[in-house]
Amino acid sequence: MQINVHFWSYFADIAGTRDLALQLPEATTVGEAMALIYQRFPTLETARKSTLIAVGVDYASADQALKDGEELSLFPPVQGG
Amino acid sequence: MLTELILTPDPIVIPASPAEALDRAGSGAIITFLGVVRGQENGEPISGLEYTAFEAMARHQFELLFHSAGERWPITAIRLIHRLGWVPAGEPSLWVEVASPHRGEAFAACQWVIDEMKRVVPIWKKVRTA
Repeated sequence: MQINVHFWSYFADIAGTRDLALQLPEATTVGEAMALIYQRFPTLETARKSTLIAVGVDYASADQALKDGEELSLFPPVQGG
Repeated sequence: MLTELILTPDPIVIPASPAEALDRAGSGAIITFLGVVRGQENGEPISGLEYTAFEAMARHQFELLFHSAGERWPITAIRLIHRLGWVPAGEPSLWVEVASPHRGEAFAACQWVIDEMKRVVPIWKKVRTA
């Protein structure tokens, strides 16, 4: 299956891209996808503890299984207001 | 409960308040909050802030917040405007209005919505120095 990864705010600068398509085995979890992303972008892992993760427009948990075509977003702490 | 959300690159135009709909809903208290970009950050002068957002998620998270606020307090209306893009120092970036039957819950809900926004709504800002 394929998922689309989006890097928001300065995470796009760290990753050097805003978007990325990832081919993954069926039922890969968010946590497993994150491990692959960190392998590819080791610098992002330094912000692991403060990284916020969403699938679609909802926050996601590490054990959540991804589905084909879903959008995985990674971003730093939010700062509205 | 009346809710309204505006995310806009344009300068915030403060709506006429209270709206007729609020009067009909039996609101006894209407709190409005205006957040303004400070002219300095960590003691250093700045020219303004550049706001970016994951807009689809921001809209969804605001809707969830409004709904949760409505479950916690007897709110009759929440209206919120957040400016995106470049906002010069001294100009408003956020306007919030909360209406309820009594003032206590309106103050509490307004504070809570803003606190939660700063925790879950994907909007970011970048400082530009003068």
